[in-house]
Amino acid sequence: MKDRTENEFTVELLCGLLMSILAGFMISALLAVMVMFLPGLARTAEAADIVDRDMLRKNEVTRGSVLLQTESKGLYRMAPLVKTDVHMRVNGMLVRTRVVQRFKNPGQEWQEGIYVFPLPDKAAVDHLRMHIGDRVINGVIKQRQEAKKIYHRAKQAGQKASLIEQERANIFTTSIANIGPGETVSIEIEYQQTLKLDKEHFRLRFPLVVAPRYIPGTVPNVEEQVQGFSGSGWARNTNQVLDASRITPPVISPGHGPLNPVTLRVDLNAGFQIDKIQSSYHRISQEVQSATSMTLTLADKQVVADRDFELVWKPKSGHVPRAALFSERKGQHNYLMLMLMPPDKQQIAQQVLDREIIYVIDTSGSMGGASIRQARRALQYAIRELKPTDYFNVIQFNSKTSRLYQQSVPADQVHMDEALDYVRSLQASGGTEMASALHAALELASDNETGRLRQVVFLTDGSIGNEEALFSIIKDKLGDSRLFTVGIGSAPNSHFMHKAAQFGRGTYTYIGKIQEVDEKMSALFRKIQMPVLSDLKVEWPEHTEVEMWPARLPDLYAGEPIILSARLSAQQGTVRLSGKRSQQRWQTDVTLDTEQQSSGVAVLWAREKIADLMDRLRDGSSVDVIKKGVTDLALEHHLVSRYTSLVAVDETPVRSISEKLVTKAVKVSLPAGWQHNKVFSNLPQTAAGSYRDLILGMLLTLLGCLLSVYFHRKNTHAA
Amino acid sequence: MQPKAMKLAGLAIALLGMVWLSQGIYIQAKALLAQKLLQSAWQQTLQGKSKVKPWAWADTWPVARLRVPSRNIDLIILEGATGRSLAFAPGHMQGTPAPGDRGFSVISAHRDTHFAFLRNLQSGETLHLQSGSGASRTYQVAAMQVVDADNASVPINATDRGLLLVTCYPFDQLGAGSRQRYLVYAIESKSPEGEDV
Repeated sequence: MKDRTENEFTVELLCGLLMSILAGFMISALLAVMVMFLPGLARTAEAADIVDRDMLRKNEVTRGSVLLQTESKGLYRMAPLVKTDVHMRVNGMLVRTRVVQRFKNPGQEWQEGIYVFPLPDKAAVDHLRMHIGDRVINGVIKQRQEAKKIYHRAKQAGQKASLIEQERANIFTTSIANIGPGETVSIEIEYQQTLKLDKEHFRLRFPLVVAPRYIPGTVPNVEEQVQGFSGSGWARNTNQVLDASRITPPVISPGHGPLNPVTLRVDLNAGFQIDKIQSSYHRISQEVQSATSMTLTLADKQVVADRDFELVWKPKSGHVPRAALFSERKGQHNYLMLMLMPPDKQQIAQQVLDREIIYVIDTSGSMGGASIRQARRALQYAIRELKPTDYFNVIQFNSKTSRLYQQSVPADQVHMDEALDYVRSLQASGGTEMASALHAALELASDNETGRLRQVVFLTDGSIGNEEALFSIIKDKLGDSRLFTVGIGSAPNSHFMHKAAQFGRGTYTYIGKIQEVDEKMSALFRKIQMPVLSDLKVEWPEHTEVEMWPARLPDLYAGEPIILSARLSAQQGTVRLSGKRSQQRWQTDVTLDTEQQSSGVAVLWAREKIADLMDRLRDGSSVDVIKKGVTDLALEHHLVSRYTSLVAVDETPVRSISEKLVTKAVKVSLPAGWQHNKVFSNLPQTAAGSYRDLILGMLLTLLGCLLSVYFHRKNTHAA
Repeated sequence: MQPKAMKLAGLAIALLGMVWLSQGIYIQAKALLAQKLLQSAWQQTLQGKSKVKPWAWADTWPVARLRVPSRNIDLIILEGATGRSLAFAPGHMQGTPAPGDRGFSVISAHRDTHFAFLRNLQSGETLHLQSGSGASRTYQVAAMQVVDADNASVPINATDRGLLLVTCYPFDQLGAGSRQRYLVYAIESKSPEGEDV
């Protein structure tokens, strides 16, 4: 009897104890929930969730592979494939390019294809042709809204139509309505551009990818800003970038086969004897016609559009052109383009100024992979180039901005070693909040009152969407500083970098692969140590009405030519260019009389003027005035702009209206070297595992209770 | 002596079980309680404030409210589908259209808390979604699908307004890691206006 009561008592005690412990845990669990909402402790409590997020990174989820819903329920199909053929004809400094994009509809339904693509900065797009079988339909230039309406009306009516719109200065969108099942449609566009000349090297670029851009800011309340079905990109519209969804095409993940394959052909008529020609990132084969002309094609029949194409050539020594003049008569006006090389560097008095250099490096997620390695290498090179008399600082930015030193320090061995270590440890992750970095760099510079020459070297891929906001920071804060942008990676946003350097009164350098880091950085450094000409002025012949772009000529650094385009009432007499070099003045006269006519000069002038007008939007000029100016000019010169689009409509209806049209965005290849899962989040982990905790917890508690009670009994029985 | 050791071992096991149990309770309690705390932030959002952080150090904010009357469900949806925000509420996946926008807006939540109800949801059931601007839309469940998490893709069909609700699959699996996802497609019941031009 006594035993039993004692037993019962012990068991009761035991279970009571267990129950109170359990209750204690429950209370502490509740407390912990409340504690969650106190700042200090939140971090530790969330440790488990952070582990979850790390697990996500390891999964190679391919959200970039966009499948599209079809009319048949539950079935999805790949977006239509695109093939691009590029044909570039180079004549002296002028380049005319024809791009043919082929859209194929692999599906059973009628489709609309939408494709976002980049073109070189200041490409003047002036022709659109739609090829359907043997027929060719020429595009007409219209105001953007009107073109859109025409396109949509044709789309509803079942007619084949295409539309080219400009989204950014260097990003365009093609839409094609009513591509029949299994059908292929070719869209041909043409544009005009000029070559780049830098230290006797001529450069021709063709951008092949649009890099996904980081879109900062908050997501606005939607209703008003819905872009409708034409924007099928993956970023949502945010406060700072209202057309975000239009400039972010869906992206193919690596290893999903070549999409958007490209063939490319360049007919080069240099106008001088070519010494050396090479393609920077692609293998090419060449067929020499004469000492001054040749034809180049990609050695691989097709390449994937994942890195930009660049061709560089150099004249034989003694054949280097010192000046070039192209002109065209159109309507009542004469248009001309003038290129002039300033005198050789040997004549330049060496005068080294004390400098303060601020390096800014982008360590955001889009820089992941090869880009950050290039950037680190470039920065290390730049730091080693410093002279003991220079002052310097390093700033890095991603979602946040941090600087190495509070203030710039002398470039002695200790500081340089410290900085090199710092650079070595830089990793890419997070967003691209460039504004605060620009503020920091330009403010640091303005703190300094030592009279040093301040130069800011900015390394980034420029994958940002809030360009306008950043330009205004540069304009407001620049002061006497100079901003030099260095583009990193296979597809930097060169429009942004170019413009940023222009507002920053510096230059833009592009580094496409790690092997050219040293070469390009040393060129940049030689250049920024040596401004060649400042205060450039142009005097036109008297009694001539002239409109010239750029309206103000920038400083010239070693190896750079003066390039300007102008519209004149009469083309005769001489133009005088003058500038200041160190302490002395320099001037040259150029005779304008020439019989040679080159087509495309007028279009280039118009494009320059449009670029200038668009820049004025940042100065607070009235949007309506600018819009009218740009529209009139673009309509006159048949140019695609932010306010004008090319539209082509085939009058014959091809789709009966009862059949439904499906809209598809065409995938764009991810730039080479981009790490896929750093750009896209994947489907999140959506199980907290609380069932496991609850059930296993309950089972274990029960099991433990039973065990201890059982052995307790056994124990007492044995005793 | 051995039974005594076993008794102690039993106690230890029970203790471990309780730690586990309380963790489960903690997850469930957090999910429940957070929804209550989000209410005031949501009310402020409806009054026109944007990005109302529910607590000072939050990195997310309410973007929509999802109601399923037939299942007695009423949930505030947060921006971003990170592990952190999903503990409190369903998360809208960044990079997809905002809830109420054209296109498929992707919303995910844990299968054992907020989205446990997806398991029983049937085609044709009605969902109500209120976006931050206050506008309410009605959606109908159109289809369900199980996909591999690695090959999952988000459909682009920008002509319709749709919701894509995502949670882990299978529902009965106990642990946290899962390779599969259960997708529920819901399409707006009626489109009041035609295509916008």
